[in-house]
Amino acid sequence: MLIPVLIGMSIITFSIVHAIPGDPAKAILGEKATPEAVAQLKESMGLGKPLFIQYVDYVKGILSGDLGTSFITKTSVAEEIGPYLAATMELSFAAMVIAVFFGMNLGILAAWRHNTGVDYTAMVIAIIGVSVPVFWLGLMEQWVFAQDLSWLPSNGRIDARMGFEPITNFYFIDALIQGDFVAFGDAFRHIILPAVALGTIPMAYIARMTRSSMLEVMRSDYIRTVRAKGVSEFLIIYKHTLRNAFIPILTVFGLQMGLLLGGAILTETIFSWPGIGRYVYEAINNRDYPVIQSGILIIAFIFVMINLIVDLLYAWIDPRIQYGKE
Amino acid sequence: MTKTLLEIKEFKMHFHTDKGVVKAVDGIDLSVNEGEVVGLVGESGCGKSVTSLSVMGLVPTPPGKVEAGSIQLAGRDLTRLKRREWRQVRGNEVAMIFQEPMTSLNPVFTVGSQMIEAIRQHRQVGKKEARHRAGEALREVGISRDSILDEYPHQLSGGMRQRVMIAMAMVCEPKLLIADEPTTALDVTIQAQILDLMRRLNQEKGTAILMITHDLGVVAEMCSRVVVMYAGQVVEEADVNTLFSNPKHPYTAGLLRSIPQLDKRSDRLYSIPGNVPNPRQMPTGCRFAPRCEHVQSICLDREPPLFHITTGDHTSRCWLHGTEKEDVDRDSSRDVVRS
Repeated sequence: MLIPVLIGMSIITFSIVHAIPGDPAKAILGEKATPEAVAQLKESMGLGKPLFIQYVDYVKGILSGDLGTSFITKTSVAEEIGPYLAATMELSFAAMVIAVFFGMNLGILAAWRHNTGVDYTAMVIAIIGVSVPVFWLGLMEQWVFAQDLSWLPSNGRIDARMGFEPITNFYFIDALIQGDFVAFGDAFRHIILPAVALGTIPMAYIARMTRSSMLEVMRSDYIRTVRAKGVSEFLIIYKHTLRNAFIPILTVFGLQMGLLLGGAILTETIFSWPGIGRYVYEAINNRDYPVIQSGILIIAFIFVMINLIVDLLYAWIDPRIQYGKE
Repeated sequence: MTKTLLEIKEFKMHFHTDKGVVKAVDGIDLSVNEGEVVGLVGESGCGKSVTSLSVMGLVPTPPGKVEAGSIQLAGRDLTRLKRREWRQVRGNEVAMIFQEPMTSLNPVFTVGSQMIEAIRQHRQVGKKEARHRAGEALREVGISRDSILDEYPHQLSGGMRQRVMIAMAMVCEPKLLIADEPTTALDVTIQAQILDLMRRLNQEKGTAILMITHDLGVVAEMCSRVVVMYAGQVVEEADVNTLFSNPKHPYTAGLLRSIPQLDKRSDRLYSIPGNVPNPRQMPTGCRFAPRCEHVQSICLDREPPLFHITTGDHTSRCWLHGTEKEDVDRDSSRDVVRS
């Protein structure tokens, strides 16, 4: 599955990128450039060749670990993209932790107190959660928690005045490696607002899926058996029911995680988060083909990998699911 | 003198739904002595499963509500138990096995872990000891391979799963085992094995069994006493021989006539005409009257009490066995009249 998806993705992104109106050479040289200069630049960027040859060159490059060179910065995309990718993964991961924790517990609570005020309140929260626009939520958070209350910083990954030197570009990991707990705390304070903004929609989806899945399992015969054994309500819910209800929840988790990685542009823009969404967005404005292609391909690759992991987790959660055995 | 283990008195469990009150169990009396096997018989929807679930405290409330009566287990009223106290009773003093062995075990945990959970819920033992006991209990029900503890339910057949269910129910040596149609979903040959197993456990361990079934064959084979339920009420109670040889209530008689018999040829199998009444609109008077071939005018007006038939503990809720006059001096506490 993995290989055909990636080949397909590379063809689609390549085609779309080249179909974008606008000429990168013109974008670089400006409106007043002479046609000769533009043609010369195009030639040097390899854009003069037929599209098919360009695609073959691009794929050859990828296979040898070369994601191309940015037209604008003239540096290798493979080198350049690392910090952006790390920033986005850190943010997405934090958002997912929030989404999973609050979403699942909200869904569990709603299912446990089915058809009561608790259930209705939880589901209203979930509906608001899926419908609230991310940019609005982000701005409101900044307004209330950063500006009015001054509790949390409103943008960036860490206070620049700290002079923090990243190693892996995952700031939390870096801070721990260096034993710098002040930096860790500061990075933590910086990530809260964007993570909440980004995590709200997946939180709501997870809550709804958890609720319906839990309700279905709670009516099953084996939950009645567990109850007949005298097991406590807590274990019935969190051990027996949740484990069985987990597969649909995990599916939503995988899909939402992919969306977070690729769809964090708004959040990253509002909170000045130097992530891959903004990186690719700027590349699109500049017609920076290698960056767009490689950025999208990497996002697609991560998305596919996450869903592969999700598939493997299915088998771990439910012993009835087995792969590769007939 | 045998001691009463379970005594259900005047018990009413009603369900309050949007469309009205469903009187699923409407004032039943039922007792099980220590070591006794009692059959609870009736059609689908007559309230026998709700009765059994009530003894386990497994009826969801709401919508269910105990309207009246009590369920005494060894002298303790279960209807007054708190959530925490219920957990001491379930699986420990009373255990239950269900109709659907295929879906009654949690598919994502091994047989061993589910059994160990049942043991450690009620006994202060370590994991190793619990695992040992689980293996013992499974050998008791005829599964001798040790690997079963590490197998998942989907790897077992229906009969094996029901054995596991029984082993799990018996593992804390409950005084009462409630079996809700334990053989209905099984093949005939497996049914016989499971019934044999339950009878053996009853004889060897002295566990009382409340056998809920609509299969009179199971009753004949297993039970010493039978309680017949119809539309949320007990309509007849007798020891098993009396019931089969001399059924008093027209409903019981109808049930017995609808069993196919090899020695008698008939073109059509008898069936009781009509359907079970809508539980939201019970008929006034006798609840069986609309389907009864002996119906009299009194049956449509007044609900019959349980009349004592002359022989022993045989009771029947039918006007054929008593008159209204006798009803006046009935024993008010048990709703029973001597005739």
